[in-house]
Amino acid sequence: MKSLLKSFSSVKLAIVLLIIITIASVVGTLIPQQRSLSEYVARYGQLANLFNRFQLTKLYQSWWFISLLFLLTLNILICTLTRFPSKLRKALQPKLIKERKNILVLKIKDSFRKNWSLVKTKEELKKELSSRHYRLKEEVKENKAFFLARKRTLGLFGVDFVHLGILIILAGGIISGLGGFRKNLTFSEGEVLDIPEAEFKLRLDKFETEYYPDGSVRDWKSTLTVIENGKLHLSKTIEVNHPLSYKGFVFYQSSYGWDWTNPSVEIWVKKRKDPSFLRKIEMKVGERMRLEGENIQISVLHFIPDFVINERNEITTRSLEPNNPAAFIEGWEGDEKILSGWIFSKFPDFARIRSEKETDLFFELKNFKASQFSVIQAAKDPGVNFIWVGCTFLMIGLAFAFYWPTREIKIILEEIQGKTEIIAGGIASKNREALQSEFEKITDSLRRLR
Amino acid sequence: MNESILFLTTFIVYIISAFFYFSFLFSKRENLARVGFKLAFSGLLIHTLALLWRTFESGHAPFTNMYESLSFFAWSSILAYVIIEFKYKIRKAGPYFMLIVIALMALASSPLMSKEATPLVPALQSYWLWLHVSVTLLGEAFFALAFITSIMYLVADSREKKGKGIKSKLTSEKLDSISYRCIAIGFPLFTLGGLVFGMIWAYKAWGRYWGWDPKETWSLITWFVFALYLHTRIIMGWKGRRSAYVAVIGFLAAIFTYFGVNYFLAGLHSYL
Repeated sequence: MKSLLKSFSSVKLAIVLLIIITIASVVGTLIPQQRSLSEYVARYGQLANLFNRFQLTKLYQSWWFISLLFLLTLNILICTLTRFPSKLRKALQPKLIKERKNILVLKIKDSFRKNWSLVKTKEELKKELSSRHYRLKEEVKENKAFFLARKRTLGLFGVDFVHLGILIILAGGIISGLGGFRKNLTFSEGEVLDIPEAEFKLRLDKFETEYYPDGSVRDWKSTLTVIENGKLHLSKTIEVNHPLSYKGFVFYQSSYGWDWTNPSVEIWVKKRKDPSFLRKIEMKVGERMRLEGENIQISVLHFIPDFVINERNEITTRSLEPNNPAAFIEGWEGDEKILSGWIFSKFPDFARIRSEKETDLFFELKNFKASQFSVIQAAKDPGVNFIWVGCTFLMIGLAFAFYWPTREIKIILEEIQGKTEIIAGGIASKNREALQSEFEKITDSLRRLR
Repeated sequence: MNESILFLTTFIVYIISAFFYFSFLFSKRENLARVGFKLAFSGLLIHTLALLWRTFESGHAPFTNMYESLSFFAWSSILAYVIIEFKYKIRKAGPYFMLIVIALMALASSPLMSKEATPLVPALQSYWLWLHVSVTLLGEAFFALAFITSIMYLVADSREKKGKGIKSKLTSEKLDSISYRCIAIGFPLFTLGGLVFGMIWAYKAWGRYWGWDPKETWSLITWFVFALYLHTRIIMGWKGRRSAYVAVIGFLAAIFTYFGVNYFLAGLHSYL
């Protein structure tokens, strides 16, 4: 037990674990994660089975990766706990150096003599050090005095704050993993959906896509209303980066889509020889409409949001986005079909209309309407507050450890025949150069004093 | 007068600065290095103006596409260099570091990079864009400095071992310590900007703070490598060559996180 504890308190173990976790993380980014088995077989052939056996295809969720993280957690915890008491002792009851050779081995050191008594030297030294915010501990013994001057004591504990922060973050991760929940909900406007595991419902009042002048998407906005016990509780318009929080649940604008089952189109009918002629008709797909003042009826048979002709020469849609909207129209004179063909909203000149009978009419697909649905991600993450607390500890700790390192100056004064010898040395946990220059300033000003 | 002229002026000033730095390296005349430094500093000021101009013109943070982000990375690198040069006097690192900056600027101005300021996609419309990217890239700029000083250390160390040590104020020991100082400054910045701000933003935009997305994973890998650097150095007393190798690997990981992930691995973080 004791030897186990000892091996878990070693930094070497931490380093070995860190190296293994780092390499595993790299592997996890090289093999695409969480795909289907057939995809792996197509990509890696025989290797796919091996990957599967060692859970390399869901590496970050695999038992062995989580065990490694668990071992690291244990390692950090034990390292911190075993080192903490002696560190606390060092902070609260620092030891004075009483042998001059122990000062002279330090990297930052100096010794010189002043024509002062011990009392006078002590006084000047104290004045100089406290003006630089050092706190002093002293002990006098016959003709000698021992000093320990220290500032930024908190810097000693920076690393413990960092490790505590990491432990809290890891704990938060476990809580998120076990108690967290995440689901995409697809809403049409006006639809009310139950939120799984919650006692309220959510209604999508309105969904809109905003565009920049150049046509690219500026934002997706969903106005949501919380309905609890049949009562409307609150409404909020959410957008990307601005979710709605309610009773531990957070709702995100996650995605959106078009419902192409029942679109309507707007078609402009013009005449080549009569520029003043313009008829606008709006109708649903499948409808037939009489063109005002003309002996012709127009019907729209199909609407395709992203028109493409595939390799088998079939007309189909490339995507569900309206990138290349096209409509198939027919023109009828009584029972006789006189024209039919595709018109394109982005390429009006590209219209492919086949006429059975001479006609002066031509058609433009001006606009279309289809309802859009909004995909809202409902998430419950009980671990997230741990993460923020952990991050705060982590950052405070890093700031103390690296930007606020502890500085110690140890001094021995010895009075011999009315003169006092000063032997001083400095220790900095980090940034020794900065202490060095402060140390030199202190000794210089003491040297110069009369 | 517009942003691209300011950018070009900056680029030229950096090139002249590098020229002076290299002349210093070959002639050993200190005043050439001083001119090089002044030029680098003036370049930084013009560059700042260029970035501000871009911000006002586009109405968003000046790091939303590769061109902008490379230019901002070059800017933070010069800023980091000015700070370190001011504190530790690392003139000899100047010429090599300017090469990195020039490479970044050249990459930014290559015709492959679209210079057009495009409107922000919904996910990027957040003040976290400012915090996340600027702090991360500043942290990485210090890693870049640690990289250069580590390589210089490796060269200086093998020369000193062969007895060919050049008389210079910038000894291998000092290079080693400056490299460590750069990492000590960069590590908290990278942690704050890359990981902490990244997690907060991911939570706000995507609804989870961590998802093992390649970009996320690679920034964690970078963080692990520098954590290894710090533990081996502070606790196990590694110094010199071994430390320098870890610092080099750390910077390469940071660069892969910055460029590589977007080109080689697919993920959510597809803007940059």
